[in-house]
Amino acid sequence: MESYAIIGFGTAGYHAARAIREADKEGKIDVFSNTGEAPYNPMLTTYYASGKLSYEAMFPFGSLEEIKRELDIRMVSQPVVELRAKEHMIKTAEGIWGPYGKILISAGASAIAPRIEGLDGKDCFLMRTCQDALRLKKRLAEKNVKSAVVVGASMVGIKVVELLADQDIQTVLADLAPYMFPTAAYENVAHEIERRLQARGVRLLFQNTVARVLDGPDGRMAVMTQGEEIPADIVVLCIGTRANIGFLRPEEIKTGKAVIVDPHMETSVPGIFAAGDCCEGNNLESNETQIIGLWANANYQGLTAGNSMSGGQKKFDGNILHNITHFMDMDFVGFGDNRIQGQTLESGSLESGLYIKAVCQGRRIVGVNILDSYRISGIIKNYMLRLLRGGGNELTVFQKGMLVQAGMDGRFIDRLEEAVSGTD
Amino acid sequence: MKLTLDLDLKKCTSCGACAIACMDQNDIDVERGIRPFRTVFDWENKTGGTGRKFIHISIACMHCTDAPCVLACPSACISKDKETNLTVFDNTNCIGCHSCAMACPFGIPSFGEEGKMQKCDGCAVRVKNGMEPACVRACPVQALKLVDIDAENSQTEGASLQKLGKEILEFQT
Repeated sequence: MESYAIIGFGTAGYHAARAIREADKEGKIDVFSNTGEAPYNPMLTTYYASGKLSYEAMFPFGSLEEIKRELDIRMVSQPVVELRAKEHMIKTAEGIWGPYGKILISAGASAIAPRIEGLDGKDCFLMRTCQDALRLKKRLAEKNVKSAVVVGASMVGIKVVELLADQDIQTVLADLAPYMFPTAAYENVAHEIERRLQARGVRLLFQNTVARVLDGPDGRMAVMTQGEEIPADIVVLCIGTRANIGFLRPEEIKTGKAVIVDPHMETSVPGIFAAGDCCEGNNLESNETQIIGLWANANYQGLTAGNSMSGGQKKFDGNILHNITHFMDMDFVGFGDNRIQGQTLESGSLESGLYIKAVCQGRRIVGVNILDSYRISGIIKNYMLRLLRGGGNELTVFQKGMLVQAGMDGRFIDRLEEAVSGTD
Repeated sequence: MKLTLDLDLKKCTSCGACAIACMDQNDIDVERGIRPFRTVFDWENKTGGTGRKFIHISIACMHCTDAPCVLACPSACISKDKETNLTVFDNTNCIGCHSCAMACPFGIPSFGEEGKMQKCDGCAVRVKNGMEPACVRACPVQALKLVDIDAENSQTEGASLQKLGKEILEFQT
């Protein structure tokens, strides 16, 4: 009988367990998790904190008991302190486990939390875990938060800003970057989003962050790196995440910012796999490994890893950076690498209705921003992927029709096809 | 059994009867700005790349076998029905993030008045009770069919929308 271990039980670990159980009904699956909870979705934490979702809804696959029954897994509720990869052994605070036939590293990532001088734990928040969401919700329920500084003009940061603004809390969004969504947005799109946020009463401070916090006669103040003092009853840090790989021996297993995997999600050590936010899979654009820490990507990686661990031959050749975020009645979509320059095509209006900007280079679409049209996003992403994966450079006829039905100018589709066919 | 809806592109005249039947079945009030689940249109293919100059299309959820929207939904609102394999949904916990739309290469998911996702579910309840989906029943030229992709010769030869869809899905993640 094969034995499997899964370290970390987020969505990647859950999907791997599902794929293993589908192929191997008898194998023993041990799941190491220090949360004592079912897999949750970090993306849902702001929805719970804002009261839009129940606590249970943060766990999309049901309770831990339900999942244990469904997948016939054994939970080991102990933090893993060391993975002895070559021996296929796992060390926890309470003992040594294994050896296992196959091991999956799906330990996820943790929010980066720099210490800020003068800021005590009670009023400093992160937004990654269910506990983070519980803490913020509880603090806001005290009804005495009048001002907040959110650090990080990211997809998480903007959702925190939205939930605070909805409660009429005077909110400042700060980031060391020069504009909104710096890793996904083109500058003109970012500036339009900034204009809309400011119109909704959100103050934006770029190339600026919280240096320290002071308690003065007028209440708590955040002292910014550019010197200004801003009222800040609470500070929420949405700076980013770091892969949870501290329990690995770097001399044993190949890592960069996370665990490096091949298309079967196998690491440099045979029989050891990785998936989700703690792994670097292939970026289809750059053909280099990179963390693409997105829900759907983690699910694909988990399914692939589970299939490989149980003897299957599935491959996941990689992905592109892709984000969609819906906030304050607008949609922002970003695909690809916004740093790559090339032939730039635009259509529509930034101020109202559908807007799209696509950058093409070498018969590929290397980056796209879409504002206010979720409807075209899936077809455009599919087109980017098709070009990267060597498919034809013409959109399928009914995809073109659906784009036009969604409000896209048909002439833009022609220009896009021309740009990637190299005929102009 | 793996059921899906297929369209014979040679037979469709984009008359819209399917869309009307769908709106009636699902109580879609377009006057309140709700987008119908089924989109019907004519398309003139100027490049002629597919060899088809002018086509008629009626499209709703393609009920993909490995549906990308299922993996994309952060709240697990979308799933494959175990009995029929149709792609069904329960939008109770939908947060309106539009991730499903970003995952769908056919531009299908739409969002209702409360911002929650809704789409064609293949009339799964009708099908489980031995009836045809409303659109299939209404199609005057039998262009729309409920087909079992596990069965031999299930697809409409040469002019199947599902066949085109399958090619598109090969590139999707």
